[in-house]
Amino acid sequence: MHEKAKDAVASFVAGRTSRRELFGYGAKLGLGAATMGFLLNEAQTTAQAADFDWQYYKGKTVNLLLNKHPYADAIIADLENFKKLTGMDVKYDVFPEDVYFDKITAALSSGSTQYDAFMTGAYQTWQYGPAGWLEDLNEYIKDPKWTNPAYAWDDVLPNLKASTSWSGVPGAALGGEGAKQWAVPLAFELNSITYNKRIFDKAKVEPAKNLPELVEIAAKIQGSGQNVYGIGTRGSRSWATIHPGYLSAFANYGGKDFEVADGKLKAAMNSAAGKEMTALWVDMIKSSGPRNWSTYTWYQVGTDLGAGASGMIYDADVLGYFMNGGDNKEAGNLAFSAFAPNPKGSSPTPNVWIWSLALNSYSSQKGPAWWFVQWATGTEHGLFGAQKMDLVNPVRNKIWQDETFRARIAKSYPGYLEQYAASSPGSKIYFTPQPLFFNLTTEWAASLQRMVAGELPVSEGLDELAANVDNQLKQAGLG
Amino acid sequence: MASKISGGAVLRAAARIIVLLFFLFPIFWVFLMSFQTNQQILRIPPSIFFTPTLENYTALFSGRLQTASGSLDIAFIKNLLNSIILSSCSVLIALILGVPAAYAFARFKFRLGENIAFTLLSFRFAPPLLVLVPLVAYFQMIGLSDTYIGLIWVYQLICLPLILWIVRGYFEDISPDIEHAYRVDGHSWAKTFFKIAIPLARPGIAAAALLSFIFAWNNFVFALILASADKQPVTVGALAFVTSAGIQYGIIAAAIVLSVTPTLLLALYAQRYLVEGLSLGAVKG
Repeated sequence: MHEKAKDAVASFVAGRTSRRELFGYGAKLGLGAATMGFLLNEAQTTAQAADFDWQYYKGKTVNLLLNKHPYADAIIADLENFKKLTGMDVKYDVFPEDVYFDKITAALSSGSTQYDAFMTGAYQTWQYGPAGWLEDLNEYIKDPKWTNPAYAWDDVLPNLKASTSWSGVPGAALGGEGAKQWAVPLAFELNSITYNKRIFDKAKVEPAKNLPELVEIAAKIQGSGQNVYGIGTRGSRSWATIHPGYLSAFANYGGKDFEVADGKLKAAMNSAAGKEMTALWVDMIKSSGPRNWSTYTWYQVGTDLGAGASGMIYDADVLGYFMNGGDNKEAGNLAFSAFAPNPKGSSPTPNVWIWSLALNSYSSQKGPAWWFVQWATGTEHGLFGAQKMDLVNPVRNKIWQDETFRARIAKSYPGYLEQYAASSPGSKIYFTPQPLFFNLTTEWAASLQRMVAGELPVSEGLDELAANVDNQLKQAGLG
Repeated sequence: MASKISGGAVLRAAARIIVLLFFLFPIFWVFLMSFQTNQQILRIPPSIFFTPTLENYTALFSGRLQTASGSLDIAFIKNLLNSIILSSCSVLIALILGVPAAYAFARFKFRLGENIAFTLLSFRFAPPLLVLVPLVAYFQMIGLSDTYIGLIWVYQLICLPLILWIVRGYFEDISPDIEHAYRVDGHSWAKTFFKIAIPLARPGIAAAALLSFIFAWNNFVFALILASADKQPVTVGALAFVTSAGIQYGIIAAAIVLSVTPTLLLALYAQRYLVEGLSLGAVKG
């Protein structure tokens, strides 16, 4: 029976039968979807090997540094296939996210060869890349000697490819002229609304269509007598407070962080559009945000949503995705909605966070490490992660078109696919890349805290912030 | 015969209870959390009444937590073991090196003596990351990277200055006359040190050792930067329960209870030495 199933899978991989026929045949043989999925993954791995010498580095060992995250779990769960495909061994260290970037920064800045490849965010590459700590992956991707012809780099969402590449010139566009590909996207998150249907139904409200409406609906939920607050957003004194909902809305109103002229940066947070949007944002937090908003990070925003303490969040879509599962009280009650904050009829412009894989330029095993990176960011592993694990959001078009993945998401995550379809075209990094990114966005968050605390009016607060930022840019020779 | 209780005594007792509640309630709450599921912990409003579960402790000891969203590998017991190895070996080595050094600094005046003692203390002033980044490179060159020996060596930055300075103060408080009398009887310097000086300074040494152990146990950054995941102490290991997909509050509470237990037991056992040792070494007569 097992041989028959293998033949059927081989026929599917060769394109002679459809997925539906394959799984139907499996059911007739008495094999469940999980078994068929396993056989399929194995057959696809073998098929991959036919077009490219995956065994070129057989016997080598790759050392990885991974963040404790569902994306890393997906890699670990599929590692046996990589080992079988390449004959290589993989050793990995997994560190919690709280300390993960300290670990990487220390390793890279000291020229350590301990790790050959590692997970990173796109913002971090603005520091690591120009410092010479990362390999420019263009040199690998564009060379057929190094990259499997079936890798299909063009299938990766263009905005994500651009968002992970930069020339290193402060203010130059991401993915622009002379950009180096510092990392390859693994999976990503965009910012939209995740709301609690149960709470919304009780309060008799619908998801908001723009920011003024969002402020109103959040206040209605707060006052609906359900002992919940209206909307969860991050508020801690960190760059991470600015990059999700706030910057997505800021960009949607036409706000920019910097203007670039003659290679010099000038703070532009205090534009009229920026002030209009920030005033609404501050009002919303004051009237319907969490009580300890200024301490809120990803974890608190997510936990409150999952526990039914907040009516909705304007944050990463995958945060809502994670909270709609597991042992969260509100699992199954959460729904998703794309969001275009500007009432003047614009489409969504979500800022994104991209978990990516990068190569350590000090590594003595760059070849084997690249073999791993192209496997982990390739279609087959992406499909495995999206169908069977939580490698969501996938970075490849082909995976978004996969029926099994779409059926799984449509079944358990109401509105997620529609939210993604509406949000995706405008999803990219809206920050201007520059080396002071973490310092200046942290200052932006601190300024926002003062506005919410009522220490400063919004207009004055943003003017003061822009002046401080300009001062720092000048001191660093960037302004 | 009914005894009269004055109003002042009642007020004092009430004040004591309030202070105790203030300091102990968070610990008590964490202890309760360690017997609850995540859902129970996140109830709105929180409640002190619940059906206790041992699943958090079971998960920590079995190394696997089964949740509705899948299973989570837990290396906490390995982390606990790492903390025990790193802290006890570091304190032991610091005692072997530090106690004779403290005695020398207390009893003898020699060239650059104070400078050397101050240099050792200054290790405590430097921000750890400043020292650690170059150390990563050196350790890799000499093969100490990601080894227990390398870590124990670096932990001397915490333990050695503490032991040296506390025990030095203690030796200085003990009159040298007893030692002189013993030497006059024809005993060697070494014998005097082991038979007279060390027994007399034992409370000070115990206090210094205990404090160093606590400081070493609570250290976070050294192993994080210098070692791989399998050599991390509890301070880093406990963070593994904070993931993008949610925070395992119950497990974190159980991990806190387990990681606090060894230092708490040690502190309770050595409490008498700790108070006596620290106070005697603190004031010079």
